[in-house]
Amino acid sequence: MGVFFEEDDVRDYINDRKISSESESGSEEVPLSEPSKTAVYNREGLLEKLEDMAWPENVEWIHKLNVDYDWAEEIDVNDDLSRELAFYNQALNGTRNAFEKLQSMSIPFLRPPDFYAEMVKSDTHMLKIKSRLMSEKKKIEEAEERKKAREAKKIAKEVQAQKTKERVKRKKEEIDSVKRWRKQRQQGGFARGKDMELDFGDEDGNSFERPKKKRPGVAPGDRSGGLKGKVKNKNRAFREAKFGHGGRKGMKKQNTAETTGDLRGFNRGFNKGNKKARR
Amino acid sequence: MAKKRKHVESSKEEPPKKDDLAPERPKRTLLGWKNGDAEMQSDALLFRNKEKVLVTCSRRITSRYRHLMLNVVSLLPHCKKDSKVESRASKGATLNELIDFRNCSCCLFFECRKQKDLYLWMTRSPDGPSVKFLVNAVHTMEELKLTGNHLKGSRPILTFSSNFDKEPRWMLIKEMIMQIFGTPKGHRKAKPFHDHVFVFSIVDNHIWFRNYQISVPHNETDKVDRGGLDKMTLIEVGPRFCLNPIKIFGGSFGGPTLYENPYYVSPNLIRAMEKRKRAGKYVRKVKAKQRRKTHEHENPLEPDEFADLWKN
Repeated sequence: MGVFFEEDDVRDYINDRKISSESESGSEEVPLSEPSKTAVYNREGLLEKLEDMAWPENVEWIHKLNVDYDWAEEIDVNDDLSRELAFYNQALNGTRNAFEKLQSMSIPFLRPPDFYAEMVKSDTHMLKIKSRLMSEKKKIEEAEERKKAREAKKIAKEVQAQKTKERVKRKKEEIDSVKRWRKQRQQGGFARGKDMELDFGDEDGNSFERPKKKRPGVAPGDRSGGLKGKVKNKNRAFREAKFGHGGRKGMKKQNTAETTGDLRGFNRGFNKGNKKARR
Repeated sequence: MAKKRKHVESSKEEPPKKDDLAPERPKRTLLGWKNGDAEMQSDALLFRNKEKVLVTCSRRITSRYRHLMLNVVSLLPHCKKDSKVESRASKGATLNELIDFRNCSCCLFFECRKQKDLYLWMTRSPDGPSVKFLVNAVHTMEELKLTGNHLKGSRPILTFSSNFDKEPRWMLIKEMIMQIFGTPKGHRKAKPFHDHVFVFSIVDNHIWFRNYQISVPHNETDKVDRGGLDKMTLIEVGPRFCLNPIKIFGGSFGGPTLYENPYYVSPNLIRAMEKRKRAGKYVRKVKAKQRRKTHEHENPLEPDEFADLWKN
């Protein structure tokens, strides 16, 4: 029994080696690099069929609305960017041609701004798209701010040095001004006059009042021990968002049209090699 | 009173003139006046696009592909959606019956197999042809990256890449696409403006589909300002998909094969190949282990003379 088993295994193994070596030699990446010889291509039959099914030849263009566009050069399929650009160009040029034709017919073809009708995508969906765009924009802005802050930190030392220098300078100036005042008073024989008052240029006059700015820290009425403004534990919040906190779970776990379109949860690296995703 | 009198007078004066100058009235027909130039017009007017497309899918279709189908339905105001059809060998007969029953001339049938592969049948009903495609690279309209939007039921402009006219098979497919995806003029659900454009282009022997919204700055409805065409931008609406033609049949859902894609390998075969490869890896590992075992068994180590040296 055991012997039989082993023989079988060996045969299998050999077969597998053969097949795997075949598949490794390129049939996986490009399906059938050589055309199969048994394939049918009946040109006459196709043309006949085309004649049968086609609309009469004198059909006006307005019924068809088709535009052909000649691609200047071949493009690489796996290069997403250039491929999409080519499609875009085709659409753009085709539309221009079509619009010129329509214009020459002088039929109204553009939607007036006050023409409201049902759209392909609903308003709620468009709102979602908008919010996504906004959040993306916000993210970019935040990242930029962070970057700026990092750079500011680098030059903070210099800024601090400059500030202290300025402070010293200002102090010196103030002392000087007092000295000058005293000298003036001395020269004037300490007469009572309008130069009795000290004149500091930058005095606001309300230095004893509290600054209007909100004090950092705890508000007077706050008894929560400083936890009032703070968000809950981040981890906790995320878990609650994910798994829910109370309420029915059933509805949240079902797929909807949006979630099926959403591929964020999938592992992207798996299929990286072939972007066309033929299979 | 005055009016009446006037009328009487004019009727008195007219009859002699009519005989001399007025041309004879053309004959009245059901459709209008029968006339020379009217006939010329009616020849062109005679054509009316009355294509109706039946859109269905097979049972056990996955949600993603079902959404794609619904997207297509929302793009074609002249289509009729039907309930799912069992995808068996006999589906052709059932579908033909269904198309006939629903008064349609074309059919788009989304066939999902193994919950993985989507095939699309494009068929003209009573007497063919039909084309079978493998659909891949599917993106539905629900994806938030596609930010455009357009009127539901406005007639699309169909743009084709020029390599559609190079071979008979592509020509046939182009004609079918034009008939199926073009919205009939004057269809009751169609809107009279053009604000989106379909792209069909052949790259790498696959047909790629895109749908863009057209946004043009304009004031009038029948004219684009000078420079408006240059300022025109397109925003993608979706869906996206890529069609790989497999076969073209002469009849609808069957008949003689007119074309067969020589480069086509079914996804099943590809998967099987990969699986076998992986299985081979495992077997190799097991074999290696076994070989090692037998080798060890056949060549036992010589007893070590110092083995028990440190035991006590």
